[in-house]
Amino acid sequence: MDANAAKLIGAGLAMIGAIGAGAGIGIVASGAVQAMGRNPDATGTIQTNMILGIAFAEAVAIYCLVVALLILFVF
Amino acid sequence: MTETPKPKVWGRWVVLAAVVLGLFIFTGFFGIGLSLKPVQPHVVLPAEPLFSIGSFQVTNTLTALALADLLIILIAVGVTSGVKKGSLILGGIIGAIEWIIEMLHGMTEGTAGKWTKQIFPWFVTIFLIVLIANWTEMLPGVETVGILHQSEEGHYQVESWGPVSSIVLPEEGAHAEETHAAGYEFFAFLRPVSTDINFTLALAIVAVIMIQYFGIKSQGGRYFGKFWNTGTVFSKPIFGVIDFAVGLLEVVSEISKIISFAFRLFGNIFAGSVLLFVIGSLVPVFAQSIFYLLEFFVGAIQAFVFGLLAMTFMAQATQGHGGEHHEEAHA
Repeated sequence: MDANAAKLIGAGLAMIGAIGAGAGIGIVASGAVQAMGRNPDATGTIQTNMILGIAFAEAVAIYCLVVALLILFVF
Repeated sequence: MTETPKPKVWGRWVVLAAVVLGLFIFTGFFGIGLSLKPVQPHVVLPAEPLFSIGSFQVTNTLTALALADLLIILIAVGVTSGVKKGSLILGGIIGAIEWIIEMLHGMTEGTAGKWTKQIFPWFVTIFLIVLIANWTEMLPGVETVGILHQSEEGHYQVESWGPVSSIVLPEEGAHAEETHAAGYEFFAFLRPVSTDINFTLALAIVAVIMIQYFGIKSQGGRYFGKFWNTGTVFSKPIFGVIDFAVGLLEVVSEISKIISFAFRLFGNIFAGSVLLFVIGSLVPVFAQSIFYLLEFFVGAIQAFVFGLLAMTFMAQATQGHGGEHHEEAHA
């Protein structure tokens, strides 16, 4: 196989990891919205914790992205 | 029954004229354009050196950091003079800064308690520098105006009009080797500093060191008990060993904090700038503005997340663990 083609396929495969982060962020947001609906007074704290949770979930997708970018532009 | 005449709005006509002009220039829309087709960008991961002072290389991310610092200093001076005037209602950018500071302060108080006074400055410093650094990406001319170097590794073809040169598409039919030999490299004067892994890594290391500092300052030597937990090894043999292993895992968690801090910011902003390049090369007119809005949002969120995580970890370090282990995600 052409090395360039293998690179492109590898970068695409690396981004599969984003699936998990997408599902995770969806779960976090749904939980947060439900909590806000039940207790609107606690919106501030819930929002802060939601963003924290999203940041943790998103980190995995960002690792995938960095790996894909490294494959594409460095190696 | 006299209707008040609407004030004439000229802004939209200017925008429309700019869009039509862009269509002419970049796409040859009605066949009369200059056909300056946008070029597929060649993405470079490390920052490009501009010039060097002695053995110290000044890269284009460093100049962007200087620009961001300058902006922050200007904002600080403006806000200080505005506050000193003593009006009760602060307007404009001063009001915006006041809103940000108040929101962040409330958040810190809720999390850090009596350590608010020590931790709050770190939160706001990290937030402001990362925010302004991310938003320099949106300034016109950043990453698009720069120097062209002729070199072996060059990827661009260049056409000159008097003193100004621009990158053009390679001539059709030209041999690959020929275009390769006559290639140009492009070094932008400014490139957002968050797209440089050195900046994000440095910021992450500073943040994690300060987390340890706050832990030691609040708990003294007991803070290290989190990492080297031999207290229960002999009293409860099996769970004691597990506790010890968990303590060693805490060391790994501190190191992974550095990595996740650094790569989260770098990945988001670098991917954003690549996205802007690619969209700009696909649809040269109008489409990019939507993604500018997205980048505006991402830049703010990432700055907020970086500061918020640093603040939360610092507050956690001051609270100690008192027998119970934090099952925080190690991301």
